[in-house]
Amino acid sequence: MVIVREKRLRERLIARDEQALVELVEVATPWLLGVTHAMLSDSGDAEEVVMQTFEIAWNRIGLFRDDGSELMPWLLRIARNRAIDRLRSQRRHQAKAKRVTESVGPEELVTAAVEPNEAAQPGWHVHEVVQAAIAALPDEQRTIIRLAYYEGLTQSEIAVHLAIPLGTVKSRLHRAFGKLRSALATVRDWNL
Amino acid sequence: MTTHDWYVENRLDFAARTLDTTDELKFADHVPRCDECRAAIQEIERDLAWLPMAAVPVRPRPGFRHQIIENILGARQPAWRRWIAPISIAASFLIALGLYVPERRESDRLAVALTARTSELMFLRDSLSVMRQAAHVLQARISMNGHEGGMLIFADDISHRWNVVVHGLPPAPSGETYQFWFVCSDGMVRGATLTSDPGKPVFLTLGMPAGGGTVIGAALTMESNSNRSPEPRGKELAHLSL
Repeated sequence: MVIVREKRLRERLIARDEQALVELVEVATPWLLGVTHAMLSDSGDAEEVVMQTFEIAWNRIGLFRDDGSELMPWLLRIARNRAIDRLRSQRRHQAKAKRVTESVGPEELVTAAVEPNEAAQPGWHVHEVVQAAIAALPDEQRTIIRLAYYEGLTQSEIAVHLAIPLGTVKSRLHRAFGKLRSALATVRDWNL
Repeated sequence: MTTHDWYVENRLDFAARTLDTTDELKFADHVPRCDECRAAIQEIERDLAWLPMAAVPVRPRPGFRHQIIENILGARQPAWRRWIAPISIAASFLIALGLYVPERRESDRLAVALTARTSELMFLRDSLSVMRQAAHVLQARISMNGHEGGMLIFADDISHRWNVVVHGLPPAPSGETYQFWFVCSDGMVRGATLTSDPGKPVFLTLGMPAGGGTVIGAALTMESNSNRSPEPRGKELAHLSL
């Protein structure tokens, strides 16, 4: 049912249906703002990246591959990539990484609630599954996932900041991602 | 360990964007040429698709969603909505006054002008987006008949489009034309022809060619108008490699 709805929404977007764009913006904006805000720690930057994400999506929806890829993951990927590009190109991540290692625990930034409970938001159950999957990781893996996936640090940067060998970073990342891939299998087919 | 083993080992890191810049670029260059890696990365992306949703959703500030829509669709929709009512009312009065036809012409003219202006804005915005997100900027100096010009390429790896700027070149001699070429892994592929004016740079936004394999560079040549060959025959003025 939801897959059909998502497919229709995608088809309407390809047909340049402006109402479909309004619907997409309505549903996806809070999640995109969530991830960009968590990564960039700046409302203005987060909003800019979300704007760019929708603009890219609207301009490239026709190129969107019809191979089982879904709309929302695509948007999340664009937003995260743009946020990482911004962090890296402006070298903000250096200062931010310093702040992160100095002041916060393994999961603080990922789980920090910017808004009160948003349980009515479509996709909230996915959020809970992801949170639980991350919470189930050992501390050292959770820390690495946070730095790599949500703070946009590269493996070398993580190795420097945590003062551990690059190989250790790599192996922890791979173990953590392996666990997350299994844990997220239950929501893999969720859709808008 | 074969060369490809390195890519196999780093697929997950590439998909998660944890590779250092040099390795990321090396991998990005490999992906379009390797079906196996591309499929594996898509699989990883699907498995980890929802990972960003660990972040708590943030309620947008009032007006932000509207701002997104307006940013994408431009001023067209609000302007239309803003003007449709007054134009309709004005038209009614003008009908009553027997002035419907000329005013209708005027409003049509304005609507056409507005559409043209909106399209122009969208094109400019689109071109600018390619420049702003360019992963590579290439440039070459070109000296020709006493003119000092050049060619500049902004390569956007995300949308796979280029903005090409050619400047400072004299008009092509009679019977000849400036020809832009894509240098591809399987050979040269003809791109656009250019009309040059030393006082006015030429701007082009180009998508990647359908055939020819991976694009690895670009060239500018001076070709005879009679040359319909798929390969350059004329003098090469510039050659750039990605």
